[in-house]
Amino acid sequence: MVSTIQNTDVKQKEADRAVVVAVTSRAVFDCGADDGDEVCEVGVAFPLLQALQRVNERLLEENPSESLLFDVVLITSDSQQQQQSSRIISSTRHHGLEISSFCFSSEEDFTESLLKNNVHLFLTTDRDEAAQASQKGVFSALLNGKVASSEQLRVVFCGDAVIRTDAEPPSASQDAAQSFWAQLGEMRRRFGMLDSPLSLVLLTSRGGRESCGTALQTLRSRGVNMDEAYSLAGAPRSPILSLLRPHFLLINHLQD
Amino acid sequence: MGTPGQREGERRELSGDTLGFSVDLRKSRGGEMSQNNRDTLTARGPDLTSISNRAPWEDARMKLKPSTPTRKPKPPKPENAITIGVSARVLFNMEKEQQIYKQQGLEDYIKYQVEHETQPFSPGPAFSFVKALEAVNTQLRELYPDSEELFDVVLMTNNHAYVGLRLINTINHHQLFIERFCMTGGNSPIGYLKAYHTNLYLSSDPDKVREALEEGIAAATMFTQEKITEVSDTQLRVAFDGDAVLFSDESERIYKAHGLEKFFEHEKAHENKPLDHGPLKCFLEALGKLQKKFYGKGQRMDCPIRTYLVTARSAASSGTRALKTLRSWGLEIDEALFLAGAPKGPMLEKIRPHIFFDDQMFHVEGAAEIGTVACHVPYGISQAMPKKGINDKETSSAPK
Repeated sequence: MVSTIQNTDVKQKEADRAVVVAVTSRAVFDCGADDGDEVCEVGVAFPLLQALQRVNERLLEENPSESLLFDVVLITSDSQQQQQSSRIISSTRHHGLEISSFCFSSEEDFTESLLKNNVHLFLTTDRDEAAQASQKGVFSALLNGKVASSEQLRVVFCGDAVIRTDAEPPSASQDAAQSFWAQLGEMRRRFGMLDSPLSLVLLTSRGGRESCGTALQTLRSRGVNMDEAYSLAGAPRSPILSLLRPHFLLINHLQD
Repeated sequence: MGTPGQREGERRELSGDTLGFSVDLRKSRGGEMSQNNRDTLTARGPDLTSISNRAPWEDARMKLKPSTPTRKPKPPKPENAITIGVSARVLFNMEKEQQIYKQQGLEDYIKYQVEHETQPFSPGPAFSFVKALEAVNTQLRELYPDSEELFDVVLMTNNHAYVGLRLINTINHHQLFIERFCMTGGNSPIGYLKAYHTNLYLSSDPDKVREALEEGIAAATMFTQEKITEVSDTQLRVAFDGDAVLFSDESERIYKAHGLEKFFEHEKAHENKPLDHGPLKCFLEALGKLQKKFYGKGQRMDCPIRTYLVTARSAASSGTRALKTLRSWGLEIDEALFLAGAPKGPMLEKIRPHIFFDDQMFHVEGAAEIGTVACHVPYGISQAMPKKGINDKETSSAPK
């Protein structure tokens, strides 16, 4: 059973233009035992939501009638959190988060709720959840739980996935991936080279400069221009990733 | 070839083709011939002993190499390699683009770069050094096919990824073996230098170089040079100044504060006390590690890597402490050239290093004038008091 509650505090986005990002409430709020407190602590996804909000603010600054905005939807699928629904809603209000709607579903139905809400990107800290959603054709990514608050939304594209996509016949999930990249690319183009509220970063792990070059060209042909590019050619990823501080990593197959 | 008279004090006249006083430190080890007796040594081609150890079919394969499609060797793991980080502007000549950036701003600069994406840049000041590193790698791979103790050149640039394709096209055009890069889009490269265990960082930006030095990474600033003389393509030659480059600046401080006489006294008194290490010491150490690999295969005489100390110190006095310090560190240097205050240019002209490190712009500029690729190590007391136009240390005139 899937139910959606709209957040009346927040102006709803245009359905066909907005970039719908769904985040699990477990990642946004840390609702411990019900100790009578109306408000939950913030979770690991909090800096991400703040960064998404900042992008929206800047987009509206450039153009007050901008419709290409992030539309954040909170997904609650585990029963424990469902019982906390009122706390989740009041916490949202308390922290001033721009969440458009709250979706509650059972664990089996959560992918259904994602599809129903036309989610373009599903973010979770749970690898299995991400894989499940991906199988049903919802573009999913793992939230980086280690990001400190940052001024800029940083998205890392894992280039090896970009190339692989072209070689294989596209799956539903890959189509979803490509349309998300295109949306991000368009959003990025609203801003100049400097002082952008979002930064698109390409990281190729295995191939050398050729792989990276091909990825840059492929992305550019889809209207996605990278700000930064890193070619590791087999060097360890984690030291570089910890410097890049992405809010989330876009990889095609959740294998690494 | 008459013997020129020698002045009092530490200055030695330059005679014949021996400029300055050169100590070949190889001489003191075993019964090896000095490199100075070049005529009596056989050609500096491949070491004959190593060829005879190879099977005949291996030689045949070597001849085929250029035409057969070679599989690109895998880059070594950063912790095993000697990583050299180079910025785009020292690897390539981007003068024109730099002007556009300064005069017209970032957006026009990017637009220009993208429009000229298929036009490769021409070589910059670090280019011949990088080529020489690759030549050493080729030889190391032949001798030790499974070893990862190799040079690894990483492009570390502040440029935005928009310039990426032009840089990649240029690397392809010049057939450089650079597979790793960081295009940070304006962010500081220092963290990435550390992540790659960088052993040496070369950049045209003195601020970044200083930042790297502060983080304990050997680094130097490079400049575009009008004249670059030809260098060897069979032997990598790296030359270092002594004080404030290989060694700390402690002795330079004494000289600057108390003058020449005090400097001599101090060095003599502390002859047996090793100097503290300077920012480039660890790079010399890394080179030594690779040199030993060649010695292990019988290539001591014509080692593809050769190191030089080019110092204003004097062989007879203050030089002793320098040599003893190196010895105490367990480091070897192939040739120590004690100039006793003479200009470094003529000596550098003679040895033709691929790169020369000095902490004083005066020497860097002097080297560049004769076509040596010289880079500045912005470290130590000399940075606070630039010495342009003032004579070198050990002149007989009274100190200021």
